[in-house]
Amino acid sequence: MALLSEQDRQAVRTRLAELTHRVTLLFFTQTIGGPETGHITKQILSELAELSDKITIEEVNFILDQDRAASYGVDKIPAIAVLKNGEDTRIRFFGAPSGYEFMSLIEAILLAGGDDSGLKLESKELLATVTTPIDLQVFVTPT
Amino acid sequence: MALQSPHIRAACVEATEFMDLTRKYRVTGVPKTIVNGTGEILGAVPEDMFVRSVVNG
Repeated sequence: MALLSEQDRQAVRTRLAELTHRVTLLFFTQTIGGPETGHITKQILSELAELSDKITIEEVNFILDQDRAASYGVDKIPAIAVLKNGEDTRIRFFGAPSGYEFMSLIEAILLAGGDDSGLKLESKELLATVTTPIDLQVFVTPT
Repeated sequence: MALQSPHIRAACVEATEFMDLTRKYRVTGVPKTIVNGTGEILGAVPEDMFVRSVVNG
């Protein structure tokens, strides 16, 4: 059964029509003994990929391809790394992007596949002064 | 912000799926943002305030 309703699909398809760059979602999971949420994530991503030809899903085995997981800073699954034209955007999603988080994923895809971060000029200027690594973890819940 | 600065990594973590992290960072309400493993930003604060908190610590 589809997780997205026909109404959701139409709304998301319309939004994704704005994409001007290719967005790849690297989906880290494991096929045997993985968390239940890995299956939900996989289904959400496959339904999402049908809504825009600019979106590609690439599944990476967290256990068999540890080096790749490490290179993307993925230490837990399910995980999604967002790439723009094949380049890492440093945006990650850990856990199933269902409920409210689905919209956060759509927003991240729209930002990655567009030409502007969407931030105010003042924010951009302040962020231009950053010279050392900053690691942000935003904790959220699905509802 | 990660799109704006090559030095910034941004991860969205589903709190109920990673309880060890949720406990480690004492997440009792969401959204809660952890900066470099120590700093905390509670709630959905306005962009200006959020960016200042992240950049200036």
